[in-house]
Amino acid sequence: MELQAAKKLMLNRKKLEIFLLDHAIEVILIVLMLALSFNVKGFMTWSNWMNILRANSLKGVIAFGMTMVIIAGLIDLSVGSTVALSGVIVARICRDLSAGGMDLTLACILGIATSILLAVAVGYMHGFFSHKAGMPPFIVTLVSYNALYGLAGMVSQGFPIANQYPEWFNVLGGGRINLPAWFSNLFGRTEIDGIPYPAVVLLVTFLIVFFIMGYTKIGRAIYATGGNPESARLSGINVYKTKVICFIIVQIMAVLSGFMVSGQVLAGSFSFGRDWGLDVISAVIIGGASFNGGLGKVWGTILGVIFMGVISNGMTLLNFDIYTQYVVRGIVMFLAVLISSYRSKVRA
Amino acid sequence: MKNITLRAEHITKDYPGTRALDDISIEFDSGKVNALVGKNGSGKSTLIKIFSGAVKPTSGAIFLDGKEIHFNNTAEAYGKGIVTVYQEMSLVPGLSVAENIFLGRMPMKNGIIDWPRAYQMAGDLLQKMKVRINPREILYRLSMWQMQVVEITKALSFNPQAILLDEPTSALAQNEVQNLFEAVRALRDQGVIVIYITHKLQELPQIADTVSVLRDGRLMGTVQMKEVQHKDIIDLMFGEVKIQSRPKDIQVQDEIVMEVKNLSREKWYKDVNFSLRRGEVLGIAGMLGSGRTELLRGIFGADPPDSGEVHIEGKPYKKTNPIKMKYAGVGLTPENRQLEGLILIHSILDNLCYASMDQTSNGLIENKRLRNTIAEKQIRELEIKTSNMEIPCNSLSGGNQQKVVLGNWLNTSPKIMLYDEPSRGIDVSAKQQIFEIMWAQARKGIATVFVSTELEELLEVCHRILIMRQGKIVGEVNPDKTRINELYEICMRGD
Repeated sequence: MELQAAKKLMLNRKKLEIFLLDHAIEVILIVLMLALSFNVKGFMTWSNWMNILRANSLKGVIAFGMTMVIIAGLIDLSVGSTVALSGVIVARICRDLSAGGMDLTLACILGIATSILLAVAVGYMHGFFSHKAGMPPFIVTLVSYNALYGLAGMVSQGFPIANQYPEWFNVLGGGRINLPAWFSNLFGRTEIDGIPYPAVVLLVTFLIVFFIMGYTKIGRAIYATGGNPESARLSGINVYKTKVICFIIVQIMAVLSGFMVSGQVLAGSFSFGRDWGLDVISAVIIGGASFNGGLGKVWGTILGVIFMGVISNGMTLLNFDIYTQYVVRGIVMFLAVLISSYRSKVRA
Repeated sequence: MKNITLRAEHITKDYPGTRALDDISIEFDSGKVNALVGKNGSGKSTLIKIFSGAVKPTSGAIFLDGKEIHFNNTAEAYGKGIVTVYQEMSLVPGLSVAENIFLGRMPMKNGIIDWPRAYQMAGDLLQKMKVRINPREILYRLSMWQMQVVEITKALSFNPQAILLDEPTSALAQNEVQNLFEAVRALRDQGVIVIYITHKLQELPQIADTVSVLRDGRLMGTVQMKEVQHKDIIDLMFGEVKIQSRPKDIQVQDEIVMEVKNLSREKWYKDVNFSLRRGEVLGIAGMLGSGRTELLRGIFGADPPDSGEVHIEGKPYKKTNPIKMKYAGVGLTPENRQLEGLILIHSILDNLCYASMDQTSNGLIENKRLRNTIAEKQIRELEIKTSNMEIPCNSLSGGNQQKVVLGNWLNTSPKIMLYDEPSRGIDVSAKQQIFEIMWAQARKGIATVFVSTELEELLEVCHRILIMRQGKIVGEVNPDKTRINELYEICMRGD
């Protein structure tokens, strides 16, 4: 009897352990948020949260594409440079064409189209060279990281292009959706900060990628490709096409992010976003996606993004300097990966 | 030169449920190449593992030069003078020959590696092996047989009294084998006890002095090679085998579903032609390296053929690939189910639905209910033992994993199934279940091509067996009128 009870207790303990490990990021995030709310003035306020959202949506958008890439067993280091390049392309085309007398909106749309086309081409090339030529994705995208950055510098001739954009373009990056009065009244105020548009874009991309990865054939193919490309291939799955799609989607998301950055600061510069690639990858990994491919959840990535955002926001409010913040972020990522390695051991 | 003997006395090894070795007493003399043969499952590998220290016998003792020796692991066996050279090479391609030979034991002087001495020592050893290999050469530039010789030289560098060579020619081309034999003879003439494990009987007259035959865990006898014929050894290996017969109700239909025409892939198979009828179970027999697996992969397009065509229901396919062949109605269960057949970290449900993705979606969105239905159907029909289809495949036993690979393809409603070694590494009852499944599918009209190392399986399962040798189909036998000894003899004849 006692033995059975002890066994049951053990079993329950193991179950609890697995549950906690599976949801480690949620648990830690809640604890962290509670701790910050009680100890840091101004953390748990509506406007601070809108700030966190605005500051992190730009990277967050890319993180969802990166989730697909990492689940497919790939990596794209170049997204930061794509952010910079798409910003300067739109800025340059807007400036040059509107100076030549073209309608600003049309010029801007042309710039957007050019950036997107370029992103598709870059993504396609990443897929081609990593799959057909057998080059490691790390190297292929490292090449792009440098080359696209250089290209951005060339397009902008080394200076930020401060620009006149159409109004809607600026709104996309810097605008907010104003909230109705009754909502503000809930917080006991007459007016509160609106929801930033980038946060809306973040939500929409999240929903799209969530749907793709959970409910579509291509999502299944992405998991299969990352899980074991050879088995996937021998099951008649088009592994090449799957990889190309992932690489293209993450590039398009980087371009989108680049537009929002430009809209927010009203300029295009080759120095924007350059080091975002690693931040984005960090968020995806903290969200629990396996760097070996085949495992990961889109939901985890949004937690990873919020986690990174909350930490840097909290530390800023606590007046930690930027260098300390880097150290803390490193430690956080280390712990996240440590937990997930430990989890796969416990499960086995 | 002093004559020494490696002797095993009354070695028995029990594994849960089976006796792998049953009271084996055997002697190997120095100055001879002692061959050890036996088909798969005869206990050959267990015996090697016991000599190499990887496995401890349940009872029995080993004597070297008259003294009883004990060892608990491979390193200790090395220390006692018994070294095993496995078929999987343990060499590092990017290092020099000398570094490979003395890996981890490089001669040192004043705390740094003494390169001149290392090359000198390696050169001396290679000279003893009577081969001309430069000790400074980087390993990957050598040919396969030279690497194998380096591997043996590495073993020799431990100054062993006995060397076990486990299938040393398995990766070698025909013309390289002779070169390796030269080296093995040189080794023998050093006064080392050479134990040569092989399944290629055709090598025996050239290299072996004595032959010991294992069958079902027992030693069937040791013979002097000069005094016997092939046939005698084959009889010792197989004895009288009762082949179970396939159910009589599976009828081959007239309609031809697949024709293979002049299929070739350089180095592997050449001008292969055969046809396959609805409901037929066709076996392909051949020794390791005969090209049977490569042919199967060529038909499916896993490794596309260089030339030739595969006709499926009259429609020709030139450059095959898995996607095309899947749509044509062909499925393949690959040789290595863990690396090529399954995504081990994914669930049983997912693994049962990968090949049938198109059927379980409208082209874009998945039909989750249909996925569950077809997965449950396979779990039920193939009797996959699991309480929960959401758990990852790596928690299943080998037999159940193989059933998942099969189920993945059966869910595509194939017309032709290609099975590459479906029974490898699974227990007897699971094997029988796999055959039952193959027959059940044949009854439904699926045409089957079945490749297996185990000849008795082919005799049991197939309507017709093609013989493959050195990449060519050289004959065809009727399993109802062929004994296993004959089949074995045909497979290895002439090469």
